[in-house]
Amino acid sequence: MPSRRLSLFRLQEGGLLVVIFVLGALLTTFGGRVRTPLLTVGADGTRERVFETNAAGERVPVFVEENKFLNVRNLAQLAKDTSFTAIMAVGMSIVIISGGIDLSVGAAYALASVLGAMVFNHYGPGGPAAGSAVTGVVLGMVTCVGTAALCGLANGALIVALRVHPFIVTLGAMAILRGIAFVVTRGQSVGGFPTAFRGMIGWTTASGLSLVPLGVMIVVTVVGWIFLSRLAAGRRVYAIGGNELASRFSGIGVERVKIGVYVISGLSAGVAALLALGYYGSASSGDGQGYELNVIAAAVVGGASLTGGRGTALGAVLGALVIQMISSGIVILGIDQNYSQIIIGSVVIAAVVLDNLNGWLARRRLVRAGH
Amino acid sequence: MKRILVLLLAGAFALAGRAAETRTITIGLVAKSQGNPVFQAARVGAEDAARELGARNHLNIKIDWRTPNEEDAQKQAEAIEQLVLAGADGIAVSCSDANKLTDAINRAVDNGVPVATFDSDAPASKRFVTYGVDDIDCGRQTMEELAKVMGGKGIVAILAGNPNAPNLQNRVRGAKEAAAKYPGLKIRDVYYHKETPQDAVARIEQVMQSNPDITGWAFIGGWPLFTENALKWPAGSVACVSVDALPAQLAYIRNGQVPVLLAQQCYQWGHRSVELLVDKIVFKKNPPEVKEVSPLIPVTKANVDAYAANWTKWLPQ
Repeated sequence: MPSRRLSLFRLQEGGLLVVIFVLGALLTTFGGRVRTPLLTVGADGTRERVFETNAAGERVPVFVEENKFLNVRNLAQLAKDTSFTAIMAVGMSIVIISGGIDLSVGAAYALASVLGAMVFNHYGPGGPAAGSAVTGVVLGMVTCVGTAALCGLANGALIVALRVHPFIVTLGAMAILRGIAFVVTRGQSVGGFPTAFRGMIGWTTASGLSLVPLGVMIVVTVVGWIFLSRLAAGRRVYAIGGNELASRFSGIGVERVKIGVYVISGLSAGVAALLALGYYGSASSGDGQGYELNVIAAAVVGGASLTGGRGTALGAVLGALVIQMISSGIVILGIDQNYSQIIIGSVVIAAVVLDNLNGWLARRRLVRAGH
Repeated sequence: MKRILVLLLAGAFALAGRAAETRTITIGLVAKSQGNPVFQAARVGAEDAARELGARNHLNIKIDWRTPNEEDAQKQAEAIEQLVLAGADGIAVSCSDANKLTDAINRAVDNGVPVATFDSDAPASKRFVTYGVDDIDCGRQTMEELAKVMGGKGIVAILAGNPNAPNLQNRVRGAKEAAAKYPGLKIRDVYYHKETPQDAVARIEQVMQSNPDITGWAFIGGWPLFTENALKWPAGSVACVSVDALPAQLAYIRNGQVPVLLAQQCYQWGHRSVELLVDKIVFKKNPPEVKEVSPLIPVTKANVDAYAANWTKWLPQ
């Protein structure tokens, strides 16, 4: 049975990979070319534009022409833009596999961001503890990720203790967490972080590529994959999502697992918030508005079944990548943005329909094999 | 005759040469949110400016509209980065969160793409110009108009939209400063809401239910008046002054419920931003001042019809 399930997942991710490849090929072919200024790394390590002298003796910048989609800078940008949603989608997938839902991830992201930002600001260049940057970075990171994990813990504990549907609990939490974020910041944007922190997350290669978000996304995906497919705890999540009653009778600590999945979801929101803090350099209580829907969409496009029992970490990341590729592709192809929501919404529905069709075909194959 | 022919030929060659050299310029326009009609007017303004300047200077100017569906500074930063990669020649942005957009604007400028801000600025960034109202003055003017209507006394509420928007925070500050000059004027509170007409109307109704003694409203953005029948009181019973003068709002001037609207030049946000960007990109010309203030235009019963005529041009076709 496990081997058959594994093959189904492989098939689904294979399908997503084909979609990504086709989208990439279409954008490469039809995206056209772009002229970008040639940059070099100066003696002091900063990037600067390259100039040449033209026939009229004027100093003019040098441009290079490259494919709009298939160039390193664009692919790094695509990976960076995908990473925030993808990281949260891994956590959300685990919740969905368990048969739950977490509508509070966007608000947890906002609360973790603003509390982390307040600590970073305290130790930042203009803050009262400006001298202790290392302490500030560590404390800020712990605050950001810890806050989001605590939000998840509170969600899980309430769902288990009150026996209320996760939709209701996390819907309430969404409002409460965002409200707390607003009260603590009084609606102000918080910036001014230690340069050590900004430099760490915003680190770029000599050619100006920002790869830290991509690296973190890969690490989170691998950890999620190991958890779900190699650890007993991960299998228990599938078991509960597949049949909660049967899992209970087979001795699985359903309550403990349920609390755990919401903590994981919170943790993933905290990691994404931390990356965004470092990359963008500020936070406000309005951050992450509506992100829960993007994250759920990524998980579902990635093959997570809202009825529980199905989904993978890699699928969630690929789902987020598909959505981001469509969104970026609309810019590259110069399609009127008014159509972007229609296109993205259609893709989400098409993915779910294909997923259902895939499940139906798999069940039919099983029935035939039984005969 | 020969001379005329030579001149005509030379002119024709010059024109043909210019046509062959028509330069295409792409300007990215990143407003705060798709659904807000003031930004749709800015978009029309930008597109009109692109057409006018294109014809005047033999340019093909394309406006690339990349605005988040809901207010989201992170999405705006991503849009700026994507526009740079897609080869935009210049970008105009209205910042939802100045702190969050500063790095993205700076990176665009470092990559040779000039950035102008409109409506809401990022003052610490490398943008070469900002165009819009002075927000503190805007709040001040709104409250002063209200005080005039109320004879300097009464209980006032401020409707303030998104609590995170720095420009709205400044308007609230200006409104409070102005109210402080009138000893008979008491501010009951500042009321925030999601920036949709429905949410704004719901907030007013809630506030009036629990505070029936309020006699004046200062709307520092026009959100509730974008719908019909937003104000449930008869004309003259509760005074009301609002920022913005969109077509739907003008009905409230005509029925007397709102005596003064203070029009932001939202069409000009787009139009002027494109002018400034074309000057910078094509003619290498910087504006005389980094901050270009666009004054508020008072709209009353006296000039409402003349003002309304503008909207036939400003609305998206």
